[in-house]
Amino acid sequence: MKNLLSASTQVMPRFGPALLQFLVLGLFLLFAVRLWYLQIHLGPVFTEKSRNNQLRIEYLFAPRGFLRDRNGELLAVNEPAFALGLVREDCDDIPDTLEEVSKLSGIPLEKLKEIYTRNKPKVKSFEPLVLVPDMTFDTIAKVEGAAVRWPGLEILSRTRRKYNYGHLLSHVLGYVAEANEAEMQADPSLSLGDFVGKQGLENTLDTRLRGSKGKRLIEVDVTGRRLSEETQGEPKAGEEIFLAIDLGLQQLGHKLLEGKSGAVVVLDPDNGEVHALVSEPSYDSNMFTNGLSSAQWAALRDDPLHPLQNRATQSVYPPGSVFKLVMAGAGLHEGVIDPSETVTCSGELALGRHVFRCWKHTGHGTVNLQRALVESCDVYFYKLGMKLGVDRMSAFAKAAGFGSPTGIDLPHEKGGLIASREWKLKRFGVRWTKGEDLNMAIGQGYTVVSPLQVARYIGALINGGKLLRPSLIKGQPPQVTSQLPLTQNQADIIKRDMVATVEDPHGTCRRIITPGVTVGAKTGSAQVVRLTEELRRMGDGVPYKYRDHAWMAGFAEQGGKRYVIVAMVEHGMHGAAAGPIVKAMINALFIGKRELPPKDLEGGERPANGPAPIDTVEPQFPEPPIPEPPQEATAQ
Amino acid sequence: MSPIDRRMFYHVNWRLVGVLVALFAIGVLNLYSASGVRLGDGVQVENFYQKQLVWGAIGILGMAAFMTFDYRRLNALAWPMYVITIVLLLAVPLLGKTVMGARRWLDFGVFSFQPSELAKFSVLLLGARLLSGSSERLNMKELCTVLGLGALPALLIIKQPDLGTGMLVLLLLGGLILYRGIVPWLFRTLCVLVPTITPLFWFVLKDYQKRRILAFLDPATDPLGSGYHILQSEIAVGSGRLFGKGFLAGTQSQLRFLPEKHTDFAVAVFGEEWGFFGMIIMLSLFCAYLYQIAVVARDAKDPYGSFLAAGVFFYFFWQILINMGMVMGLMPVVGVPLPFVSYGGSATLVNFCLVGLVLNISMRRYLFKQT
Repeated sequence: MKNLLSASTQVMPRFGPALLQFLVLGLFLLFAVRLWYLQIHLGPVFTEKSRNNQLRIEYLFAPRGFLRDRNGELLAVNEPAFALGLVREDCDDIPDTLEEVSKLSGIPLEKLKEIYTRNKPKVKSFEPLVLVPDMTFDTIAKVEGAAVRWPGLEILSRTRRKYNYGHLLSHVLGYVAEANEAEMQADPSLSLGDFVGKQGLENTLDTRLRGSKGKRLIEVDVTGRRLSEETQGEPKAGEEIFLAIDLGLQQLGHKLLEGKSGAVVVLDPDNGEVHALVSEPSYDSNMFTNGLSSAQWAALRDDPLHPLQNRATQSVYPPGSVFKLVMAGAGLHEGVIDPSETVTCSGELALGRHVFRCWKHTGHGTVNLQRALVESCDVYFYKLGMKLGVDRMSAFAKAAGFGSPTGIDLPHEKGGLIASREWKLKRFGVRWTKGEDLNMAIGQGYTVVSPLQVARYIGALINGGKLLRPSLIKGQPPQVTSQLPLTQNQADIIKRDMVATVEDPHGTCRRIITPGVTVGAKTGSAQVVRLTEELRRMGDGVPYKYRDHAWMAGFAEQGGKRYVIVAMVEHGMHGAAAGPIVKAMINALFIGKRELPPKDLEGGERPANGPAPIDTVEPQFPEPPIPEPPQEATAQ
Repeated sequence: MSPIDRRMFYHVNWRLVGVLVALFAIGVLNLYSASGVRLGDGVQVENFYQKQLVWGAIGILGMAAFMTFDYRRLNALAWPMYVITIVLLLAVPLLGKTVMGARRWLDFGVFSFQPSELAKFSVLLLGARLLSGSSERLNMKELCTVLGLGALPALLIIKQPDLGTGMLVLLLLGGLILYRGIVPWLFRTLCVLVPTITPLFWFVLKDYQKRRILAFLDPATDPLGSGYHILQSEIAVGSGRLFGKGFLAGTQSQLRFLPEKHTDFAVAVFGEEWGFFGMIIMLSLFCAYLYQIAVVARDAKDPYGSFLAAGVFFYFFWQILINMGMVMGLMPVVGVPLPFVSYGGSATLVNFCLVGLVLNISMRRYLFKQT
């Protein structure tokens, strides 16, 4: 210890001072390099992190655009709705809070826990997780009282889509519902709880109706308290869109189809605007915005009457005699018939071992094209079918817009089917037969079409051959998809024959004659099943599901106004079921009378308990056709 | 010779005083910003900067007081001070009051007092006294004696628990030992041994201390727990970039994402608001400050003064290294304040007094020449 403690020597430390200076230099270099690394090299990274700490983004919802009918009637609007959300970061005890929410809202705790765990991964931090999408006023009052004691609970004010005529327009408007995972992935502007159009125009016009969300930057401190707000971009309301639909006609169409299954289309042939697109049975669009339970959804989906199906665009049916209008066009186009040329109808035509019958067993005698259309003579068209052959028939039918979707602004439209040799060989592995040519010519066989396709074809017959894309939106420039391969003269022949079908004393459409209005039409009854002799003898007593579909397709013009009207009644037995509907529409369009036809004229009424209709997409095809039931004046 | 000689005024090391004033001024300015909390309706500034100014004024008085006497008279106080310190440190576990889970304070009614603050000073005096006796490099026996004397108070402080101050006491002594020099074979042995043995101290550490070290090694493992301090501090400093976000405009501090922002992490506020540019100025000031003390140690009249100044150098050096290293994510979180920048009453007073001691040594080298 001694030498250590005695301060006798006065010699200064040798290396100490240099060590101190070295340490100062080392300190400077170490920190200078570290600061450069943190502040200059990683500066942008840390700046981003500090912004994430400090700023939260809140979206300002844009009101969805209203939908109006062509006269300005409001069809789809928005109404306020209140949801209950939970901001997890602000919540002290999530299980306890969920229990409280269960007590307040009456929703079982298990259900809430399921909603919570399902949505947890989807919600961004500090965003509210929606526990109750739509609260009753009673629940809102209770939650408001309790919210103080339960941090994290937030009442979210949102809007909900409201359809003023939920049942009348469900197939046209469709519905909105909360965006699902896939939709959010596809569109980054969507966040949890946003509504998107799932069906109908709500779906096809979604981006226009949705508008764009506004963005608000919120500055928060470490506890999440809001300090300032800055709006970056105001929300832009969705577009208000006027539909081509006439609510009055639409309403009438539903009334006329009440209790039946079927479709009505009213089309302006000059611009393609659809004034009515009715499908029965229907559903209420409002069911979906309120959040459909899985039981409700299953009931709707599995309903044997298929109310979700839009029968004007998504259901396809054999066209029956309506197809004779197409075959007449094919014959004229290919030059295989002369309108004045006559054919003798004896009531049947033999081909090989088969005998093809005309619906009028006694025969029509001598018929030219006009008579064949007016009285719907099958034998005339059997012979036409033999001359044309399947290739020319299907080529013309396809050129007339059949076999492919019309392009109307609705999702999931069906294109129907126009058979060909190749198709049959591929589908069944069997060659096309001569008899099938005959079947095809009278609209039986494999051919299936949608009511909208029929309306478009008739529109082209009277508008100068333009096949227009049907439009549900008012005031759009008409879109011509293709030209019908008929000369004006050829189209006029068919048009004149359609008028004759209404005006001729023997015409099948005689009953829809309307004084002062030029009306042309064609009926059709499409077999859904090959009737046995036994069934046929039952007459009107044939079970619902075996009855024929009833068609009537026509046009009406007066002054400058003209419309195409197509009515299709599933299992309507014969044209008599569809005719009164067309007649009532003509009255409504031109005479201003919107009255319902007398009850005794109607057919095709569904039994009350709603039996399963047979699949209308793939009907069973009778090999030799059986005659069309009479649909003319005798019924009166 | 009267205690205060008029001529001494002319020999005051004004460079050191100038750097000190600049550092303290920047520190108070930064504290003003670090005391601010932004609320919804404006900024609320707490009064830490005012208190710091008051403590600075008291500190200047203390600094002046430490310049009045001949520093060589401290030599005689070394042993008595050491014994008193040990007694007080032993008394802490029995009589001390518990603040935030640690028993560090002795309550004397009128004022509270941390014996650990006194320990730094006692170890400084004793170390200078023991080591300035010879210029020979230390051998094994001497090293053990000095380290043993230093380890006793250090362990008592670490037990409180106050790892930061305990380590600082040991590091201060270690610095002085290096200043004196160790015989080469022993130095080489220590170079191998210390890094080997240090990890064994892991088992002595408290859980919270272990967590801090783990968090330092990998902050991302627990960003909201122990790693939070380091992460938020790095974000604050890093987001300052070249010129900073501007005075009073640091979001990390104003919105309270940065913890302990007026004490241990005060310099992070500075880094955020003044950027790389400001930080280099502050770092340069600290280095100039340390350099001035190093010069005093080099030029001291006698070895005792030289060792005293070197002790003060290490006292500041370690605190700057540990605190700034922690803020920049180079060190684990240890509760060591940054001199003149972190808020702290007694620490400010002690810092100024120690500067007074250095000035004392500095100006007396001329006086001795004349006697």
